[in-house]
Amino acid sequence: MSGQRVDVKVVMLGKESVGKTSLVERYVHHRFLQGPYQNTIGAAFVAKTMYVEGRSLTLGIWDTAGSERYEAMSRIYYRGAKAAIVCYDLTDASSFERVKFWVNELQNFEEHCRIYICGTKSDLLENDKSLRQVDFHDVQDYAEEIKAHVCETSSKTGQSVDELFQKVAEDYVNFNSMQGPTEAKGVDLNQKQNSTLYSCCHH
Amino acid sequence: MSQSEATISTGTLSLPENQDSQRSASPAPTLIQGTEPGASQDEAMFVHAQSYEDLTGEEEGAVPGSPGVEGAVESSSMEQISEDFSKLSTKLSSSDQETQNSEVRTDLGRRESIRSTGQEENEEGGLRALEAWYNHQKHVFVLSEAGKPIYSRYHSEEALSSISGVMMALVSFLETEKNAIRSIHADAYKVVFVRRSPLVLVSVSHTRQSEQEIAQELLYVYYQILSLLTGTQLHHLFQQRPSYDLRRLLSGSERITDSLLDLMDIDPSFLLGAVRCLPIVSGARDASSSCLQQAKAKSLVFSILMSRNQLISLVRRKEHYLHHIDLHLLFNLVTSSSSFKEGEAWTPVCLPKFNSSGFFHAHISYLSHDPELCLLLISTDREDFFTVSDCKRRIVERMEKRGCWGSLREALRSPFYSVAQVDIPELRHFLYKSKSSGLFTCPAMDVPYDTDEERRRLLALYQYLHSKAHCSSHHLTTIYHMGTNENILTWVTDAFELYVCFSPLATKSIATTGVSRLLRWIRKEEDRLFILSSPTY
Repeated sequence: MSGQRVDVKVVMLGKESVGKTSLVERYVHHRFLQGPYQNTIGAAFVAKTMYVEGRSLTLGIWDTAGSERYEAMSRIYYRGAKAAIVCYDLTDASSFERVKFWVNELQNFEEHCRIYICGTKSDLLENDKSLRQVDFHDVQDYAEEIKAHVCETSSKTGQSVDELFQKVAEDYVNFNSMQGPTEAKGVDLNQKQNSTLYSCCHH
Repeated sequence: MSQSEATISTGTLSLPENQDSQRSASPAPTLIQGTEPGASQDEAMFVHAQSYEDLTGEEEGAVPGSPGVEGAVESSSMEQISEDFSKLSTKLSSSDQETQNSEVRTDLGRRESIRSTGQEENEEGGLRALEAWYNHQKHVFVLSEAGKPIYSRYHSEEALSSISGVMMALVSFLETEKNAIRSIHADAYKVVFVRRSPLVLVSVSHTRQSEQEIAQELLYVYYQILSLLTGTQLHHLFQQRPSYDLRRLLSGSERITDSLLDLMDIDPSFLLGAVRCLPIVSGARDASSSCLQQAKAKSLVFSILMSRNQLISLVRRKEHYLHHIDLHLLFNLVTSSSSFKEGEAWTPVCLPKFNSSGFFHAHISYLSHDPELCLLLISTDREDFFTVSDCKRRIVERMEKRGCWGSLREALRSPFYSVAQVDIPELRHFLYKSKSSGLFTCPAMDVPYDTDEERRRLLALYQYLHSKAHCSSHHLTTIYHMGTNENILTWVTDAFELYVCFSPLATKSIATTGVSRLLRWIRKEEDRLFILSSPTY
């Protein structure tokens, strides 16, 4: 009895202030909000319907907070995710180190989740190439190793944003038929004896 | 500014007519709690906190049914002392105080020297920034017991390291004597300490607030930190590593605490320990309450409809009550961040007065942006997002079907009523708190309180009178304060608390009749100004 029909659960992960919310904002609302940085608290959920090969598909996007405070409970947000967009800031080398942490986490707990490594704020590099702190080829090598997709986006200009989510949806459609049964439901920590089972994500 | 105060006998405030009905039109001072205007007609909505003293005097972690997290951590005598904080005598022993004063004077002296250097080297921007930093009215610092800075209201790292060292030295100096430092009074400055192991909270201020009120604000900051981390996690972290740097975990939350402190400077909710309701015709309030009520789920504990720190309706699980401190923290969380404006947020939040050991999950969504209308659904189950999200959908659907929007939107467009509606000569503003319901009402701050400065001044005056009325050594039931800019009548009974601001032209007799008329007006309007029922699922 979910309120929204969600076909693909997508989770946004990455160090704080790399621009996960801006990316979602650009994709869902086609806008880029200037102004002071506002960190996400907990996580925000937004559903977006799109079309892949003539078929409608609803992405349920979980935009998570980058703060370490929420790390311990991040599993509730990425559990059962079909795709994870792991973001890093192209101008911040330390943010790429956090990518490795999240990838590790996903590989351990969500083996069916496809990983998309996304370098953000590419517009900053347009005028000043020297700001780049993460080499594209290093990322590509790493991504090949973990079988992830790589892209560089700018939420400010919109560069490669729609393409990224389109790719997520297409990959889901293309690979889903080959995928095995969905994962079992997680343990209910509150041990409530619910007569009805609610699944986080289904298709 | 010439000011005079007189305590007038409560007798003059009683009314000539005698009313027999239980909910009399105008309450006499002997009115028992639960029948005052604004009192809830069935059960109360909040945990019963009668007065300000209850809040400052309470022991931490005393939530019935929840494991005593705090007690288990450190059972030293210091813990005991800090728990008994408010029961201790107000002043330190004179010799101790002298030591403290001299220490603070050294600090003030240092500031003077910085100030003069700043004047000599005008181009030194850094020093000017530092001077501005020192000039803030109220600083708030949070330190760990190891002396590590955790939070500073006005940031500035460089000033912080030396200051936190001095503060910890003061705290531990007295602890060795099995004593606890509560406050230092030096010139116009008050330095107030609140110890909540493993944290030490310090405020340095030059306001007219009493030490108790400042301590209460510091407690709010403490609860704010608990609401982000839970008491269990906080204690666990420092038990494992006493030198833990908590700033890492709190990063990104400074804004929430900043906003809480700013809000406390301008919103009387915190002073009164009460929740402000949005005035709305009772039919519309009941309709929205019933929409919340019908969308229930197993894991739902509270459903709250709010707008800009004002409560519209609250539905709770039968056996559970929300504490107004927890509600204030939730309000502040929502208003301090624009991150909830889009989509549906699902965020862990600890309600420290309800249970400081664990997280609830809050589903936060805006039903309307202009005017602002926000829905909070508090769930016990972090896996239950989609069920709770479905509740939200059902609430919105039902509100549409019942046509709640029109009257809601109208009420939201005018969240404050004008004091002119009350139609009492010379009346400018008032605060009225119904003690049994834990709710309060006040009109808009119209001319002459339409500037930020004047608003703050009036609130500071209320704070001052509040501290006079609630002074631990001698409670006052009525205070008539005469100032050059306004006269304020304060009246505190078992059932209500009232602060009425008149123009300086008002006489004592105008004020007395005015207050009686005001109480009658509040009674007449109570179903619009207050939430008289406390619906459960």
